[in-house]
This record gives sequence, structure tokens and C-alpha cells, in this order.
Amino acid sequence: MTEQQTDQDKLHPLADIDQVIHAPARLMVLTYLYVVESADFVFLRHLTGMTWGNLSTHLSKLEEAGYVTIEKGFKGKKPHTMIRLTKQGRDAFRGYKQSMQQVLDDLPD
Amino acid sequence: MSQKISLKDAELKVFTSVFQDGLWDILIGCFLLQFAIGPFLSRSLGDFWSSVVFLPFFAAVFLVIWLVKKHVIAPRVGIVEFGAWRKTRMIRFNLVILLALTVAFVLGILSMVQFDSIPGWIHTARFSLIFLTVFCIAAYSLNFTRLYLYGILVALSPVIGELLYVYLKAPHHGYPITFGISAGLIILTGLVLLVRFLQDHPIPMNQPVTGEMIE
Repeated sequence: MTEQQTDQDKLHPLADIDQVIHAPARLMVLTYLYVVESADFVFLRHLTGMTWGNLSTHLSKLEEAGYVTIEKGFKGKKPHTMIRLTKQGRDAFRGYKQSMQQVLDDLPD
Repeated sequence: MSQKISLKDAELKVFTSVFQDGLWDILIGCFLLQFAIGPFLSRSLGDFWSSVVFLPFFAAVFLVIWLVKKHVIAPRVGIVEFGAWRKTRMIRFNLVILLALTVAFVLGILSMVQFDSIPGWIHTARFSLIFLTVFCIAAYSLNFTRLYLYGILVALSPVIGELLYVYLKAPHHGYPITFGISAGLIILTGLVLLVRFLQDHPIPMNQPVTGEMIE
């Protein structure tokens, strides 16, 4: 095994980092969704401080990846959107957490 | 990234956001009002009915707070359903509060039975201790730090009331004064928090109130 290959192996966990989760805004959204059962769009916006458009875009990406489900319904006559982390999303977040811990723990001080 | 990511902190932030609107404070303050107003009614209605008469009052307060929560607060901050960990903790909290109230009830019965044989300050001390214990349990379990302060305030109410009665002959053991001030302070805190909350969290204008997605 060459020295270059060994370095690549060491850096391999970095390559495994889930890029969908790694974006700070999506990481923040997933962190909040990870600790609750479900939350509506207004609540997530309130917690994250993102704009409507920004949050909507990030949620769409998470939905495309299968990490969240977006349930659109009505509360009375008003439309209401609930967001929930899927099992796949929960597993991916856990995996991301472990990968990051591994990468960061291996770095020298 | 300048801050450490902590899932525990994130969960705590989500959970404690529930107490930012001051409604809990108003509810607690209204509950304490019965100790300030009750003594005036007990002479004419008796101890039992002077307590029962507050039930419709509490029902009205609960209804108003529920309506405010649903129609004023929720459109501003949204709705969240907490996870299993928090739900378990809330069940545990309810059980502990139930236990504390049962102990309080038993002590109350004992006080009634042995009223003449026990010095008055013991009744007062029990009353204060029960208040302090219940408030501290609630503060710890709910991560609601203001409750520690309210616990001290409420626990001091019977003690100071008793002192006012002994030294200044304040009517009804001074309860209307001390509990009235405590309840007033707590309600006022709640109202200030509510007004500030409403100012800080206007209803979002550029997107439907209920959080419809932009597509």
C-alpha cells in the first residue's frame, strides 16, 4: 500500500459525508426535526430564522432525498403543512453524526 | 461553526419555546388568586363552596388561554409535536406532581383533624413547603426556570401573611395581601411577556399564516 493510498483511506470518511445533510441550513432543520416528532412550517421557520423561500427550498431537497415527509392539509379552512423526519432521514442523520464524529476525533489538536 | 451542536440543547430550545409567551405565568397567577380571594368568600360560603366557586373561573381562564394559544400564538410560532423522550419525561412529571399533591392532600386532612393540637406555624410551614416542592419539581422537570422564583414567592406568601396577622392583625392571616401581591406579580410578568412576545413575533405577512409551502 502506497503512502498516498493510506492518506486517501484516512480521508475516506470525509468523502462519505452526506452532502444533503452537510449544508448548514439543512443540518439545522434536520437537527430540530430529529429531536421532535413533527413540526409545522411556521414552527421550523420560527426556530431556524430562515426566510420562507429558503426554508421551502431546503425542505424540498430533503424531501427529494427521502429524509422528510411533507404533509399538506387543512386546519379548518386554512392550509397547514406538517414536516416529519422519515426513518431513512433519521438513520441518515445518525450516520452523518457518527461520520462527523469519526472525522473530527481523528484530527490532531 | 462557532457553536457546538448539541441535540439536547436543540430539544431544550424547542421545548422551552413553549413558555416564552407568558401564558403559563398568567395561568399560575390566576390559580393563586383563589388564595387571595377565597378567604373573603369562606365566611359566607364556607371552606368547601368558597373553593368550588373558583372552578368556573378556572374553566374560563383555561378556555381563554387555549383560545389565545390557538388563534394568537400558533399562527406566529407554529405547531410542534414533541418526541418520545419528552413525552416520557412529561408523563413522569405528571406522576411526580400527582404524588406531591396527594401528599399535600393528606397533610391538609391531617391539619384539619389535628388543627388545635398543632401550632399555627406548622400549618404555615407545611403550606409553604408544599408550594415550594411542587414549584421546584415543575421548574426542574419542565426546564422552566422562572418557576423557581415563583415557588419562592408563593412559599413566602403564607409565612409573610402569618407575620402580618400576628404583628399587624391583618385579616384572614394576611393571605389576601400576600397571595394577592404574588398572584398580581406573576400575572403582570405573564402579561409583559405576552405583549413582548406579540411584538417580537408578528404574524408572517409574506406567506400564508398557517405555513403553506412555497412551490
